[in-house]
Amino acid sequence: MSVAQTVPAPTGLLARRFGPVGSLALALVFLAVLPLVLPYTSLAGTVLVMGLFAAGYNLVFGYAGILSLGHAAMFGGGAYTTGLLMLKLGLSWPLAVVAGAVAGALVGIVFAALALRTRGIYFAMVTLALGQCGYQLAITFADVTGGDNGLRGFVAAPIEIGGLVLDPAQPMVRYYLMFGFAAVALAGLARVLVSPFGMVLRAMRENLPRARACGLDVRGAKALALALSGLVCGLAGSLYAIHLSTVPVDTLGYHLSGQAVMMTLLGGMGTFFGPLLGAALFVGAEHLVSDVTEYWQTVVGILFIGFVLFCPKGVWGTFEGARQP
Amino acid sequence: MITETRSGPDRRRLLAGGTALLASAFAGRLSAQGAEPIKVGYIVPLTGAYGADATIQVKGAEVAIARFNEEGGLAGRMAQLLVRDDKLNPGEASTRAQELIERENVALIAGCFGAPMLAVNAVTRQRGVLYNPVGASDAIVSASDWSATTFHEGPTPFMLAGALARYVVPTLGGSKRVALLVSDYVYGHEMVRGFVPVATSLGAEIVGEVRHPLGATDYSSYFPRLLAMKPDLLVVMSFGRDQQITFKQATEFGVKRQMRIAAPQLVHTARIIDGHSHYEGIVGGTGYYWGIENEIPSAKAFNDRFRRMHGGQNPSDYAAVGFASVMAPLIAMRNAGTTETKAVVAALKALRYDLYKGPQHYRACDQQAVQSILIITSKPPKEASVKDDIFKVLAVEQGSEDRLASCAALGHKT
Repeated sequence: MSVAQTVPAPTGLLARRFGPVGSLALALVFLAVLPLVLPYTSLAGTVLVMGLFAAGYNLVFGYAGILSLGHAAMFGGGAYTTGLLMLKLGLSWPLAVVAGAVAGALVGIVFAALALRTRGIYFAMVTLALGQCGYQLAITFADVTGGDNGLRGFVAAPIEIGGLVLDPAQPMVRYYLMFGFAAVALAGLARVLVSPFGMVLRAMRENLPRARACGLDVRGAKALALALSGLVCGLAGSLYAIHLSTVPVDTLGYHLSGQAVMMTLLGGMGTFFGPLLGAALFVGAEHLVSDVTEYWQTVVGILFIGFVLFCPKGVWGTFEGARQP
Repeated sequence: MITETRSGPDRRRLLAGGTALLASAFAGRLSAQGAEPIKVGYIVPLTGAYGADATIQVKGAEVAIARFNEEGGLAGRMAQLLVRDDKLNPGEASTRAQELIERENVALIAGCFGAPMLAVNAVTRQRGVLYNPVGASDAIVSASDWSATTFHEGPTPFMLAGALARYVVPTLGGSKRVALLVSDYVYGHEMVRGFVPVATSLGAEIVGEVRHPLGATDYSSYFPRLLAMKPDLLVVMSFGRDQQITFKQATEFGVKRQMRIAAPQLVHTARIIDGHSHYEGIVGGTGYYWGIENEIPSAKAFNDRFRRMHGGQNPSDYAAVGFASVMAPLIAMRNAGTTETKAVVAALKALRYDLYKGPQHYRACDQQAVQSILIITSKPPKEASVKDDIFKVLAVEQGSEDRLASCAALGHKT
C-alpha cells in the first residue's frame, strides 16, 4: 500500500479553487512578503529554501504517491556541487546554482535507476540507504568536502544586472535573488503539474495497476518525477549553500530527508501551496519556540501531533477541503 | 497634552510646548543612544549531546558580562548577553548568527563549538563581525578559514594532544608502545595529528590505530584488537558520549589492568556524570580546572565571582573558556574606547591578559589564544574537599607559541 493511499487524498494537482495561476500566484506572494513579516530576513531565507525543498519533494511524495526517505541526497548534492564549483573552479554563483540544480536531477536519476525496481516501503528503505551513501561519501572524502566540518571558503560575489549591482552579502538582496530562482522553479513545477505528465502522476497515485493497465509508462513516469524532483531539491540545496556561505554535512543527513516528509505532511501533501506553508510552520515553530523555552522539541512535537490528528490532510489541505462545495 | 489647555490653544504656548517636547524627545534619544548596550551574541548547543557543557558555558559568559558592567562598562555603556541555541546544527547556527547580526547588531559573537563553529565563522567573515569561539578545532585557526575578525579562545586539539604526549610518554619507562582508539571524524583525526609527531619524537612507538564510527555504543569488539597490539598506553581520541562509553567499557572489560589509558581532553561535566570509578587512573588534558585557584590568583578571582553568581557551584573547563571568550573582547573594547570592529581587532591583537589561568595572548598569524594546558587525573571522592573536587592536577604546561602548530603548517604566510 502506498503512503498516498493511507492519507486522505487531497483536492487536486493544483488547488481546484485557486486554479493553476492562482496557486502559483499565492505561493509567490507568500514567499515575496515573508521577509517583511518574519522577525529577521535570514529566517525568511531558511523558510524559502526549505519550502522549495518540500515543494520538490511533494512532486514524488504528494503527487506521485512515492515515499522517498533519501531526498537529502538531492538537496545536499545540489549544495555541495554549488559550493565546490565556486570554491574549486571559481564559477560565478548563479551558474553554480544552476549546476547544483542539475546535479540534484542527476542524483534523482541515480535514485530512479537503483531504487525503482522496488515499491512501497522497500523503495523507501532503498532511498534511505542511498541517501546515507551520499552522507558517507561526504565524510569519507573529507579532503574535498570538508568532512564533518562542512564545505567552507566560498562566498557569493556581487552580480550586476542591467547596471544594478546586487550584493548577496546584504540579507534582503540575497533573499530576493534566491526568490528569483525559486519563482522560476515553482512556475516550472506548476507547468509540469497541469501538463499531461502531471495527470499521469495523479493517475499513478490514485490507482497504480489501473494506470499501468491503461498503457501508461509507469516506471518511466516515476523516473522522470524523481529527476524533476531532484532538479527542484538540488536547486533548494544550491540556494542553501548561498544562504549560509557554507555547506554543512547535515545537508545530506537522514534527518533532513525526514524533515521533508514532515514539512510536506504538515502543509498538505499533494497541494501546491501546502509544502511552502508546512516549511514556514515547521521552521518558524522551531526557531520561535526555541527562543522561548529550552523544551522546544516537546512543544513542536505536540504541535506536529496535533496537526496530524486534527488536520490529516495538512493545514492547507484541510483548508482547501473545507472550501470544497 | 499641550493642545488640551483649558484656555484653548495659544500659538506661542504651542510653539514653546512643542519645542520643549521635541527637545526632551531628542535629549531622551541621545541619552538612550549613550546607554545603548553592547550586545554580545552567544551561540551554543543548549539542545543536544553537549547541552550540559553549553549551559555551564553560558554561566561563564554571564560572569564576564557582570564583571564588565560592574567595572563601569565602556564609558557607561553596559554589555548585554544574547544567548542562542544552535541545536548542534551548523545550518541553525548560521541562521542564528545572521539573526544576531541583522536584528541585534551585535558587536561580538562568541561561544560556538562543534561543527557549528565553522558555519558561524563563514557568516562573521563575510559580514566582518568580531568572533571568538571556544571549540577544540585546528581548522578554525588554519589559513583556509582565517578571517581578520576571528579569534579563537579555546585550546586546540594540537595543543591538548601535544601537551598530553609531552607529559605521558616520558612516564612510560623503557617500553613505549602506544595504541590509538580514534573516533572517526574530524575531532579524532586532529587529535591524532597533534599527538603522534610529539609522541614519536619522544621515543614512543605507535603500534596501531583503531577507528570507530562517531556515536558507537559497543567498544567490546575493538578491545581484543587493541589488546593484541600489547600496548603500554592506549590513547582514546574521542569526545563526549563516545569517550564516556569507552572509559566505562574499558573498566568493565578489564582493559585498564592491561595498559594505561589517556585522553587528550577530559571534560568536567562528563566526569561528574560518570563518577570516579570509570575515570580512575586515566590521564588527560584540559584547558582549565578550578582547583588551580590556590596557585593562580586570577583563577581564584574568577572562581569566587562564578560561585557568588551561581549558587556556590565551581566553574567547569567550559565555563572558564566561555568566560574568557566574552571577557577578553570586552576588555579590548574598553581599551579601544569603541566597539568598532577594526579598532577592537587591533586592541585584541595587542592584548595581554590574565583572566582565569595565567598569562595569555593571541598569536599574530592565526589569532589563537596562547594558553596553558593542565594535565589531570580523576580524584577519588574520599580525597575531595567538596563535591565537585573531581580532578588532581598532575602538571601544567605553560602557554608558549612554540607549543602550537606552526603558522606555516597551518598555511599562514610567515
